[in-house]
Amino acid sequence: MNATPPLLPRAQSSLRSPVVVWPWPIALGLLTSFGLASALLGQHGVWLVLSWIALSIPLVVTLACLVQAGRRAPLSKGGLS
Amino acid sequence: MTTTTLRRWFVVHKWTSLICTLFLLVVCVTGLPMLFSEQIWDAFVGDDDPPYEVLPPGTPNTSLDVMVSKARAMFPGQIVTQVNPDDDEPAVLVSMAPSWQALKDDDKYPDRHSGHWIKFDARTAKILKQSRPANAPKSPRTWTGIILDTATRLHMNLFAGLPGALFMGGMGMLFVASLVSGTVLYGRYMKRLPFGTVRRDRAARLAWLDLHNLLGAATLAWALVVGFTGFVNELQTPLFGLWRITDVRQILKPYAHLPVVSQDHLSSVQAAFDTAAKAAPGNEVTGLSFPGAPFGSPVHYVLWTHGATPLRARLFTPVLVDARSGELTGAYPMPWYLRFLEISRPLHFGDYGGMPLKVLWALLDLVVIAVLVSGVVLWAGKRKLSTDMRLRALDFDLEDAGTVPARAEHAR
Repeated sequence: MNATPPLLPRAQSSLRSPVVVWPWPIALGLLTSFGLASALLGQHGVWLVLSWIALSIPLVVTLACLVQAGRRAPLSKGGLS
Repeated sequence: MTTTTLRRWFVVHKWTSLICTLFLLVVCVTGLPMLFSEQIWDAFVGDDDPPYEVLPPGTPNTSLDVMVSKARAMFPGQIVTQVNPDDDEPAVLVSMAPSWQALKDDDKYPDRHSGHWIKFDARTAKILKQSRPANAPKSPRTWTGIILDTATRLHMNLFAGLPGALFMGGMGMLFVASLVSGTVLYGRYMKRLPFGTVRRDRAARLAWLDLHNLLGAATLAWALVVGFTGFVNELQTPLFGLWRITDVRQILKPYAHLPVVSQDHLSSVQAAFDTAAKAAPGNEVTGLSFPGAPFGSPVHYVLWTHGATPLRARLFTPVLVDARSGELTGAYPMPWYLRFLEISRPLHFGDYGGMPLKVLWALLDLVVIAVLVSGVVLWAGKRKLSTDMRLRALDFDLEDAGTVPARAEHAR
């Protein structure tokens, strides 16, 4: 799937160098697990709040990535296919 | 990872996802109203119960025996089947029936409901409400009720009872397999991409793939937990059945041959509640079945107790109290597989952390729907491609048939 030459210099740089894949998914997974457990085991005010915060972070990160993607190439959706 | 291994993982991901996606979509969509069913019910239907009498705080509850004898006096010749104090409100529900046999016979006639109940104020023992008499005209069903009921039954078993539940459990297992294989593929696809990249400046297919990867990675842990606990929940009927034919049968063996004791000379119901509370310390007693109840003993009160914390709230410990003498026979904690089931329930329902947790549950659910939809788009796009190739192989002229209008669309 990487056979076609990249079309933009920015894309080129990000395609060439290998990046570390797992830190982000693992961090989000741990946050989710913590959020699920802290409300279940903690039951009290602060644990509930921590649970809400921990479970919101994956959603916030997703939203941030989407917003960033939207800003980067607002007009070219599907244009070069 | 060799190309062959990768191809195998891809095939696993493709097929496990394809098979379960439609059902997963049903489950995700119907789960949303179920999550907020209490709020929906309150907003659109509400209850017409009279408000509770305002009494000074700390007013002690009346003995349950008073309510039981009141109920028996109202329906002489009938039996009391259950006594259930409400968990949240100062009310006690006393259930009755003409006889155990009549209740059993109800199964044969879907329209017959010989059981009925009386709701008492727990503090004053005044009657608050009664169930509608069996021969009264049925109240019209509300739209809210129909929608919530349909959603629940679709979610649990597609209107197909136990086979439906087991089928949905199988779909849950496939979903977990698809998540695991998807994670392996994610590692491969994202090798040269920073986390969260969505390439909108290239082929639309890549944007969908990036979106599928981003949303999937962000919700992976949640989807695994809710998917797996959903699978465990679908096994509840066989698991309870297993318990019934093993431990429960063993416990009740010495009493199985005895006739059901008459309700005229039973020991105190209130005392049975107190005995059960002592026998299962830290637990709340939520209900009592009278001797002769299905799956119960002919001579015992069966009291259901559950833990007081969210983690243990669905861990039930039944307590047997001899209804002839009022003596404790024993408390029977559930076997490990039922404990596992009970713990997996809050993790599936998302109902243990207040309204914010429910809202988060709904949002994560919506993201999973987006993962499913993007997965279908990726599959459908690829399918079209391979169909095109197949058609070309058959010497169809695709330049005229499909590609030209598509190009014209792009030119606009």
